[in-house]
Amino acid sequence: MTESLLAVRGLSKQFVSGNETVPVIEKLSFTLDEGQSLALTGRSGSGKSTLLNLLCGLASPDAGTIVLQGLVFEAGSSGARQKAAAWASLRRQQIGVVFQEANLMPALSLLENVQFRAQLAGRDPSKSEDWLARLDIGELAGRYPDQVSGGQRQRAALAMVFAMEPALILADEPTGSLDRHTACEVAGVLFDLQARHGCGLILATHDAELAAACQHHLDLGHLSGL
Amino acid sequence: MNGSRSRTPLLPLARALLSHYRRHPLQLLALAVMIVLATMLWTGVNHLTSQARASLNQSEQAVAERQQVLRDDGRDLVVDDFVSLRLAGVCVMPWLEVTPETGNRLVGVDPLAAHCFGAGTGASQVLDQPLDGKPFVDMHTAATIDALESRLYLLTPEITQAADLPDGYHLKTFSVSPDTGELGDSFLLNLEALGVLVLLITALLLRSVYLLGLAQRRDSFALLHRFGVPPGHVQSWLLLEILSLALVCVVPGVWLGRWLAAGLGGGFGQALDGLFDIPLYAGQGQGWITPVLVMLAVVLVACLGDLLLLRFRELFSLPVPARSGLATVLLVAGLAMAFLAPSLLWVFVAVALVFAGAGWLTPVAVAYVAHWRADRMAEPLTRWRYRELAVLARRLTLPLVALQFALAMVLAIQALVTTFEDTFDRWLGQRLEAAYYIEVPAGADGNKAAQSLTGQQESVPGLQWHRVKRGQAQLADVGNASGLQVDVFAVAPVGSLIRQWALLEAVDQPWKALASGQGVMVNEQLARRQKIEVGDSLLLTLGEQSGMLPVLGIYPDYGRPVGEVLLNSETLPDGFVIRFESFSVTPGELEIGSITGALKQLWGVEALAIRDNGTIRELATGVFDQTFALTRAMTLLTLILAASALLMMGWVFFSTRAWYFRLLEVWGMSQRQVAGQLLRLALLLTGGIAILALPLGVWLTWVLVHRINPLAFGWSLPMAVYPAFWLQLAVLSLAIGLSISVLMGRQLGKPAATPVSANAVVGGER
Repeated sequence: MTESLLAVRGLSKQFVSGNETVPVIEKLSFTLDEGQSLALTGRSGSGKSTLLNLLCGLASPDAGTIVLQGLVFEAGSSGARQKAAAWASLRRQQIGVVFQEANLMPALSLLENVQFRAQLAGRDPSKSEDWLARLDIGELAGRYPDQVSGGQRQRAALAMVFAMEPALILADEPTGSLDRHTACEVAGVLFDLQARHGCGLILATHDAELAAACQHHLDLGHLSGL
Repeated sequence: MNGSRSRTPLLPLARALLSHYRRHPLQLLALAVMIVLATMLWTGVNHLTSQARASLNQSEQAVAERQQVLRDDGRDLVVDDFVSLRLAGVCVMPWLEVTPETGNRLVGVDPLAAHCFGAGTGASQVLDQPLDGKPFVDMHTAATIDALESRLYLLTPEITQAADLPDGYHLKTFSVSPDTGELGDSFLLNLEALGVLVLLITALLLRSVYLLGLAQRRDSFALLHRFGVPPGHVQSWLLLEILSLALVCVVPGVWLGRWLAAGLGGGFGQALDGLFDIPLYAGQGQGWITPVLVMLAVVLVACLGDLLLLRFRELFSLPVPARSGLATVLLVAGLAMAFLAPSLLWVFVAVALVFAGAGWLTPVAVAYVAHWRADRMAEPLTRWRYRELAVLARRLTLPLVALQFALAMVLAIQALVTTFEDTFDRWLGQRLEAAYYIEVPAGADGNKAAQSLTGQQESVPGLQWHRVKRGQAQLADVGNASGLQVDVFAVAPVGSLIRQWALLEAVDQPWKALASGQGVMVNEQLARRQKIEVGDSLLLTLGEQSGMLPVLGIYPDYGRPVGEVLLNSETLPDGFVIRFESFSVTPGELEIGSITGALKQLWGVEALAIRDNGTIRELATGVFDQTFALTRAMTLLTLILAASALLMMGWVFFSTRAWYFRLLEVWGMSQRQVAGQLLRLALLLTGGIAILALPLGVWLTWVLVHRINPLAFGWSLPMAVYPAFWLQLAVLSLAIGLSISVLMGRQLGKPAATPVSANAVVGGER
């Protein structure tokens, strides 16, 4: 039996606001195999971004287990430092994260950003220019993030992610700030490369069409389980 | 189409614009504190100098061209003397100097007696003014003050001749101080220059804090513009807002500055007295209006200068290469001008040019070096760090430059003050070489005393002494200054006391040559002004005899502006007029009382004018220590202000970069590693500024020591550098960097918001 890329079991997370405790994610379980894509949908505040943060170790669950590439992360404070180090290592080498905006270091050129991310992951930075070219922004390699459009910035962010050759991509509304046409282009590139490289993709989005392009769908506004 | 214009309702606009400070109250507080401190520092220095200047002017005007009547027996004058002189028909005006237990010296005068000096003279002009305690008061008032010290002078106009006086009295020139020439003004000028530098630094800091707030409010302004509020209304509001804040803060700032000046004024007055024998009289200095208006103008220009200089915006928005070129030109021109400047004014212009050039170039230079280093770095994090450094250098330009200026100023002042302290020790050593200084009373025979002391010298171990005869001589055929009058200090014996003097230049065995009457020594002032060198021969007319005397050495005079010639008194011709005579005595194993007792007996006087040099040295050292402490405190306060501003700005600015540090964490770095990157970046920034401040500080020291001091004071200080102090400042700079990273490190633990300008194509984040 093939082991899943990602397995989530009984995951829960709540926030405390004043005297009130607000549950955001409750007893969520699902799995994701290599090369598969999952769309996370739901109204604002339904926990999409929180789930992505939990899945890359930037937030800690109150309950449940996450198994990523065979590494098991149980909720609870025991071994916090080891867990943090393990998550940091995964984020550095295996998990590519794309936000809606501000994915690039503003002081570095597009090429330097891609090289930076590849080197952090321990990958060969010499392929960075190729990645930019494959994303149709090769001629903008020397420009800085504020010198290109939003769509070009998101393409550069994708180039950064693919240059690190991740096992899992977590994308938090990656086209949310783009116009429809550009959003389609960026999404097309994302799905194309994800399919070609066989990595997993979890995509938080409000866009029904984008969600439909994913192999699996999880509506956090309704409930749980895949 | 209806083209009517509607007015923007003020209240909603004010509420919207002020909401920024409701959200960021600390920023408003920082701005207010900055205005208060800037005002306090500048007002403090300015109040001291203006008070001293006013006092100098008044005292100089009041005593110009006057002479005093003294008793032949050397005793202090009393009211009976006034009565005797008036009865003898001599027109005298009483002048009672009183030093109250608290506050500065006051002068009690009798307005009715001012007629002695006739209408239109300096005294009558001064005395025609109301006697309001600045510093002149009515004689009666001065007499009733509880005074630590008081002394009565009787002044008489120049037409009074010695023959007009009754027996037992003689005339002497009256002056509250020796002829200080431009010394007092120069000293005050230097203090004013320090004040201007302080003002410049605080204005830069003020501007940086204000612009930071403005940058954060830019989105709100854009929104208001979209809502139809004309930009002019927003600008008017900003003007009103900063004007109100300035008014609220400037007034307490001026009050604090005056309080600071009053607190430090005692030390300052003593310093003036000690340094130049210039008494600081009680006075109010300048009023409130001028400093308040000046500071309001400074605040407005510093904060809203861009709006006011809208027409010149193109000049200020030159492309970086053009701006750097202009800055380089200013810097080079300033450096050259400082080297060649013929007067103080031009030196100050040169300093301004160099500071302007350095201020413009520093951030560009840091950014350039950072990019240059980044291009050569293979390691991604190091490269990123250097790129970030370049951004920081550009975005934190104003506080960084202010810190650089403050560091440079502190370096220079510290070097100057420390050098001055060393020089002052030597000055004390020269002026107070003996333990006691005894004046020979008028009419007394100094020869008898000299014979008595010579007789005792062999039997009393440790007894050292010399006799000084003072008079004047004509110095001829030196450069263009034919017939220059110089003071003569004729010393004998040329013993161990005087041989301790440090000479600037000298022939081989100069004291031996002086003792054998082979030549003279001249003071630094005379040598500088007349371009006299060791080995030159001077044609001196002493009394009625003239002769060529070679220059054996040049001794430092530490600021005395009058030309002096030092010679062996045994070579004086008989016709030389001795104007004043004194003995310098170190009694050794003998009690000073026995020496003075013998002298009183010899001279047939009841009292002697004796100065205990040990006590004076102690007092003078204390006074100078206080003055140096004052200067250091002022500069240190400026540095602390600059450091706090950078700390605050750095913290605020770093918080706008928090997202990118958060990205590093997203990309797999631990919080500790990110904090480490932050620390290295902050240390790189503040350490870099300290390094760049160093040459500026050393250059400023050179200007103060080798350019301003000789031009203003006529004498030079040795140029010294103090690497240990550099190290202290470097540690301080690194501590500021460390504090920024600690403050920012706390923010890293909190969720970071996406930067507002992330989507904007404005380059603001780079």
